[in-house]
Amino acid sequence: MFRKVTAEEDRRRGHHLIHLDRDRALVEAAVLDPEAFDALYRKYLAQVYSYAYYELGDHAAAEDVAERTFLQALSALPRFDERARPADGEGASTFRVWLFQIARNVVANARRSERRHPSAPLEVAALVADPLDLEGDAGRRHEAGAAWEAVSRLPPDRRHALVLRFVEEMSTAEIAGILGRSEGAVRVLIHRGLRAVARDLGGRRW
Amino acid sequence: MPGRDPEPEIEALRVDRYLESILNARERGSAAAPYDPELDAELRAISTRLSAELVRVHPSFRFEERLGRLLAAKAAGGRLPSAVGGGSGPPRPLGSDQFGGLVELADPGDDDPPGRARPYLIGGAITSAALSLAGAAYVAWRLSRPLHPMVRAIRTVHDQAAHESGLA
Repeated sequence: MFRKVTAEEDRRRGHHLIHLDRDRALVEAAVLDPEAFDALYRKYLAQVYSYAYYELGDHAAAEDVAERTFLQALSALPRFDERARPADGEGASTFRVWLFQIARNVVANARRSERRHPSAPLEVAALVADPLDLEGDAGRRHEAGAAWEAVSRLPPDRRHALVLRFVEEMSTAEIAGILGRSEGAVRVLIHRGLRAVARDLGGRRW
Repeated sequence: MPGRDPEPEIEALRVDRYLESILNARERGSAAAPYDPELDAELRAISTRLSAELVRVHPSFRFEERLGRLLAAKAAGGRLPSAVGGGSGPPRPLGSDQFGGLVELADPGDDDPPGRARPYLIGGAITSAALSLAGAAYVAWRLSRPLHPMVRAIRTVHDQAAHESGLA
């Protein structure tokens, strides 16, 4: 929750917290009036859904994760604490980091459940190969499917980092906040992930 | 740490800067990939490729509206209505009437500057009636024009009025 930080608190924490989150106004409105949460929901639904879909490879499972994530976020919003730092940059959103931390936990639970009840593998490639592509570029769809499959074969942390960086276009600082790692560690995860995907695709011919 | 090879960290930092420049170029609407001769060619190529091919996936509008109603009901302090498909149960599974595909659309979310198009994969529940060029065009139009809050408010009032007149 956004609350006033006293000068003493500010000094103790050693950094400034005020007016850094680009979602500050929306979050404040939603805390005062939960019905205003709709704006945050509309803004981030596609991102949360997309993240879940890349993780679980199934539309029904991604919908389930999105539903649970936003319901939990709505319930927990009064406890949300802005922690944006100057180092996070002007466009940072600690609300988005917080929301994705919830989504990550929900996805982890879904994956545990999936292990108990195995379901179909990632269907992304099949979807990309769907004939809806209006340009009819079958080659491009095939390549995209191969890239998605290569990413899906990565170890979890590298996969998370690549999906958050490329699909959600998050900064290294935001990804570090979600994964609970340092920014340096996230950069190394992405670097190693890219090398692995390049090797994978190279071995299978681009 | 003494004796530790700093090369991987340095290259990881260089990759990070390159990815930032790719995303910035996309934000500016530039089609040309940035060029960094100091970065390994394999890393440059895979970065460019993934930035183009790892597209965002959008849920169906039916799901978006259903969950929106569920959240609104919860926000209003009511119990989660089963009538809108809410509750603790998972959404119904997708059937053969659903599809996904690559479409160039504007991202309806957040603070992206106008005119910035981002690839989108639309997934989830869209009925077979929408499986047409007109349906795809509508989907593109709808995604590029998020509803103004005032429009939503007017629709809500209109729906309530219609509902009340139907009950009368």
